Amino acid sequence: MLGFFLAVVLPGLYWDQGPQTADAVKKAGVERVYVPAGQQAAWQAAGLDAQEFDAAKLLKLPAPGVEYRRNVAAATSMPWVDANGWRLERDGRHSYYYDVPWRKAALAAAEAYVYDVDAVVHPEARDLSAFGQMLGFLGIIGSPALPVEANIGIIDDGSDQTGEVLNLLSRKNLLYRVIAAPDATFDLNVRIGTKEFPKQEATDPSGFATLVRQKLTDEKRLLRIYGSDVVIGRLNGDDHRLRVHLINYGGGKVDGLRVRVRGEYRHGKLKAFAENDAALTEYAVTDGGTEFTIPQMSVYALVDLER
Amino acid sequence: MKRRAFLQAAATAPAALAASLHEDLPKYRIVSRFPPAEKPGMPGPYAGVVGRVHAERSIDETSERVDVPTVKEMIAQGMRALTGDSDARDSWARFFNSADVVGIKVNCSGAPGIMSTPEVVGEIVRNLGVVGVRPIQIWIYERFQNQVNSVHYERYVPAGVHIWTAEHDRGSIAGYDPQTYVDVNFFGEDDTRSNLARPVSEQFTKIINVPNMKDHGAAGVTGCLKNIAYGSFSNVARSHSGVKTNTYSFVGTLASVEPVRSRTVLAIMDGLRGVWHGGPFSPNRKFRFYPKQMMFGTDPVAMDRLLLNVIDAKRKAEHATSVWDRSPEHIKRGNGYDNNPSIDRFIREPGHIEYASTLGLGIYDLNQIQVRKVEL
Repeated sequence: MLGFFLAVVLPGLYWDQGPQTADAVKKAGVERVYVPAGQQAAWQAAGLDAQEFDAAKLLKLPAPGVEYRRNVAAATSMPWVDANGWRLERDGRHSYYYDVPWRKAALAAAEAYVYDVDAVVHPEARDLSAFGQMLGFLGIIGSPALPVEANIGIIDDGSDQTGEVLNLLSRKNLLYRVIAAPDATFDLNVRIGTKEFPKQEATDPSGFATLVRQKLTDEKRLLRIYGSDVVIGRLNGDDHRLRVHLINYGGGKVDGLRVRVRGEYRHGKLKAFAENDAALTEYAVTDGGTEFTIPQMSVYALVDLER
Repeated sequence: MKRRAFLQAAATAPAALAASLHEDLPKYRIVSRFPPAEKPGMPGPYAGVVGRVHAERSIDETSERVDVPTVKEMIAQGMRALTGDSDARDSWARFFNSADVVGIKVNCSGAPGIMSTPEVVGEIVRNLGVVGVRPIQIWIYERFQNQVNSVHYERYVPAGVHIWTAEHDRGSIAGYDPQTYVDVNFFGEDDTRSNLARPVSEQFTKIINVPNMKDHGAAGVTGCLKNIAYGSFSNVARSHSGVKTNTYSFVGTLASVEPVRSRTVLAIMDGLRGVWHGGPFSPNRKFRFYPKQMMFGTDPVAMDRLLLNVIDAKRKAEHATSVWDRSPEHIKRGNGYDNNPSIDRFIREPGHIEYASTLGLGIYDLNQIQVRKVEL
């Protein structure tokens, strides 16, 4: 059903507020919508590219965001990040559907874009403008065909346990790719249940992610983020360039985020959603890595690096 | 030796056993572009020397009202005792001149119950003015805005003095220098960097350290070293997890980072008030006490060594556990610590002071510390 959106791979909008709101949808910069059954003709008559929405053909994703579990005892004071990246890394072949509360529409759209999946977002009516702004931003920054950068290969048995490990790896910005068999091109191959990665260890997914980090070593990490517990990154790149996607799940702005990527890149350019004239600061190429500061970011920032 | 006996032995002979208790120290990587000064501020020209001034009328224990003329006299006498000068202006001029940009590292973690007393800070600023440092060249700094808000230093200093905090919003690192930091992984935390507050590296030529006299649930006590170290760097609370704290080695390591070590040229320990349990915070007045003294020096280790005795003596007088006690049965997570002085939150690490001495930050041996006492 998403075929007519595939050319641009931007998230779609499911809008059930009725064709009388067509002007508001256009004003938000949205040109194509999914609409409830029976409304397609009316929407098309209103001048929008409309298609009937069919939830049965889509896989629903949890709303992204953060839970601050202040009243729950935990080994860590880090907030709990609800992110879908691990699901999309695991199997991004589906078409997805987000039904999100207020102030999460732009975040959901950014997440779907970063993980390069077909998705439809159903926002609250008051989030239409934010969704439209994000769609406009994503349209401008473009989607060059660059491979996903990862240096951990993880063999997925499809279990919930492995899923939770993937979740924690994503949350800790340990960049992996789900593979069918060990691959020597990765710095580290992970198969749960081996001597190196005992199944028992995976009963504590956070501890298991720490184990993976230890075996990889911090020196080999492709991405480090300093100054926030709620920003998750993804990399696309080739021999000459690197795209650093950064999603802020926290709901507020992040100031002074410091980022380090492995590899030396002499030039970097920042494009940050809702931050006009944003520019990288304190750029440094050092010790086999590239570092920079993002002065302020809201939901999503993209950094294009070139050697 | 059985574990219990070993722990008790540790409590009675802390210096001898401190090293053996911490054989497996974290691996620190210090990143700084600043070379040390030819004569670093710590331990400075008065290594092993502490001026100590006590004045019974310095603060009223009931109202906690500070007697400003007495505080002025304490500071003048303390500076003279430290330097041997007959005129306090000469003492200040030894450290500061009109070209300096001076950071005053206050401690507000216990505010509004206890903090670097604004009357004390005001008098420090006045003395800087006497030797030609203009208000605009003076920065009162601390990490957290919400802690400073209740103190209102602006009411005690001339217009133009900067009152700066690193974190208006907790957790933001925008106020820290991304290129000066200590990288260490304590407990598997993802953010392994503690960065130095920007004005310390970008603005200040000199720093005056103004800690309080406080018990500290993790470090044992918090004085000069803890205030300049944990108070100037980001992301330091990560050094505690469960009952374990890495304050033993982290405090001294941070304090030794350039330019902190070179630029911190004077410490004035404000002991008008003190906290003998529950520190560094002070929500409960029953754990505050009134040493009514101030210490002056350039050697943070020597001053903190004396502080250890002040806090431990008060705890002993109150029948609380010693700051040296490492017994697991006294450690309890949760709320008990806030009300019961025999409950600890962490295994305390007062040995952080002796450890700092091994980094060249000062003199720990009481036999080598010269205390120049003044009674007002």
